[in-house]
Amino acid sequence: MMRIRASIATIAMVALVAAGIATRGAAQDKTLTIGVLGPLSGGAASYGVELVRGAEMKADEINKAGGLKVGNDVYHIKLVSYDHKALAADAATAANKLVFQDKVKYIIGNAVGATCNAVQTVTEPEKVLFSFVCWGTNNLGPDKPHSFRAMLSQWEVAEPFYRWVKEKHPAVKRVALISPNDTSGKDTNTAVVKALKGLAFEVAADEYYERGTKDFYPILTKMLATQPDMLDVAAAPAGEAGLILKQARELGFKGAKGWTAGTNPFTIIGVAGKDAAEGVWSPTNINVKSDFVSPTVRRFGEEYEKRYKEVPGVIAVANYAAFDVFTKAMQDARSLDTDKVLAALTQKPFDTVWGKLVLGGKETYGIDRQFLYPVVISEIRDGKVVDIAQVLPAALKK
Amino acid sequence: MSIELLVQALLNGFGLAMVYVLVALGLTLIFSILEIINFAHGEFYMLGGYITYYAYALFGLNYFATLGLAILTVGLAGVAAERLIFHHLRGRALNAFIVSLGLLWVMQAGAQLAFGVLDKPVPSAFSGVVRVFGLVMSVERVVVTLSAIVLIAALYLFLRWSRPGRAMRAVAQDPDAAALQGVNIDAASALGFGVGCALAGGAGGLLAPLFAVSPAMGALPVVKAFIIIIVGGMGSLPGAVLGGLLLGGVEGLGALFMGSAAVNILGFLMVIVVLLVRPRGLLSGA
Repeated sequence: MMRIRASIATIAMVALVAAGIATRGAAQDKTLTIGVLGPLSGGAASYGVELVRGAEMKADEINKAGGLKVGNDVYHIKLVSYDHKALAADAATAANKLVFQDKVKYIIGNAVGATCNAVQTVTEPEKVLFSFVCWGTNNLGPDKPHSFRAMLSQWEVAEPFYRWVKEKHPAVKRVALISPNDTSGKDTNTAVVKALKGLAFEVAADEYYERGTKDFYPILTKMLATQPDMLDVAAAPAGEAGLILKQARELGFKGAKGWTAGTNPFTIIGVAGKDAAEGVWSPTNINVKSDFVSPTVRRFGEEYEKRYKEVPGVIAVANYAAFDVFTKAMQDARSLDTDKVLAALTQKPFDTVWGKLVLGGKETYGIDRQFLYPVVISEIRDGKVVDIAQVLPAALKK
Repeated sequence: MSIELLVQALLNGFGLAMVYVLVALGLTLIFSILEIINFAHGEFYMLGGYITYYAYALFGLNYFATLGLAILTVGLAGVAAERLIFHHLRGRALNAFIVSLGLLWVMQAGAQLAFGVLDKPVPSAFSGVVRVFGLVMSVERVVVTLSAIVLIAALYLFLRWSRPGRAMRAVAQDPDAAALQGVNIDAASALGFGVGCALAGGAGGLLAPLFAVSPAMGALPVVKAFIIIIVGGMGSLPGAVLGGLLLGGVEGLGALFMGSAAVNILGFLMVIVVLLVRPRGLLSGA
């Protein structure tokens, strides 16, 4: 009888272990495909490259830890990324591919405002959760409940930045702005002009250029003729911003320099050269090596640099954090159903590389879909990026 | 608006026009000899830029030696492209057109894979600015413009006085007659393609320190080059120079009066007007 019992117990044990292995095997076989979009070539390629790298860092971290546990299932994360070259038509095509061909329910990462609008024509009707770093004002709204901005935009950044300029550099009275001639550029200049007027600055010039422009002499000649105290290369991507600053210096500009949407000052130093980049203030950047950032960000920066041989800019950090927030929300919802994840996303703050991250922005966009965290203002000094102040966006103060 | 500002705007426009004329001359030379519109011409310009980046910015070679290297290497790449690809498509303009489009994408994608997608900055070779009567231009741009003028003059002398240059002109005028006179058509074609690409490579090398280099950098100059040769007249060296100056002037003044965003259409408007009024270009046959 004992032998029979032992045999039954052994069989039961083997069956349980086998079932466990089978279950685990089945769970590990589950794959969660997440889409990443962005300009991976052309003048704005630095944005797309950082988006993909930020996503890769988080996805690999999750996969190495055994996968993403959602309810009773464990998912291996697979990334699918497409290059839309910062063109709206290409972005719509890529979004269609992701949603209808690759069957993704989450697109975490996109940049350049007009492309976000194009992607949203696909994601919103299909209830695909879409997170981006685009700076278009109308990228967020009550009619777009499935869309999130993972990075502070001009509406959160411009006012505290120029308030700081006014306090710390009272000699700056006249500001000239230049941005690309598209949604991101127009919205950025609009927000900066509003902040400038609200703070009693004078707008010396409010100009736009076509993306891909290399020779800024003609437009700078016109802008510098207005004799601004400060030149803000507002929404220009790093490569173009660097060229503008370099050529402005050649044309004799010696005033203050700002980069409201400045995402990676390290690139601007390379393109503009140390002298032309000297003194540029940027309120959007994150310096992963600074005293203002948490040890988690510093660690992220070290890992990133080790892996890609470059220092990450704010977009890489933002997309890493967005991945973190979305995957945590999936775990909280115990489901991949986007309605349930959406509900989980908007319920509580998340601990991320930014620290405590809050979803807000209702007073600006009519819906809480903007990631909010403190603004760090950096300055380029002697070829290095130095953080000099931390200010809070108005929405976060509340 | 002051006169000073107007003159500065014109100077801005003319400043780099000569470099785009170099690209245009390469394009028109290849067309004249092989009757091929080489859409991949901008990619040879891009190659010149990357050679400058690696030789000058990374390995510290002298700037002018780097420029010579860019011209030579891209010229040889052009000869190789003619021998391996376009030689077999002579007389089949449509096929050559499609192949050149394919070559454009292959070279651009190849550059993305080989060099990465991000802009690579090339440090300025010359510092300082020149100020004359309130007008400003960087020393770097002055050197670039003068270098482009020297290269244009060298091309003129080569085509006018050298034996291979005259052979190329003969092939451009009438290949059959040239062959009857003992001109080696194959050699002249390969040389013509090589010289055309070398000019683009030189232009890429000249502009690399001004604009940084990237895989897609060839798109803009090649569009400007097409405008220049359509306005100036296909196959005309003085026409290309005139087209370049006109485009530079229009763009410089346009930015002042209409804003930078509207400037891009001015060149195309100029093309439409010239095609309607003088379809063969302002100085065709000159």
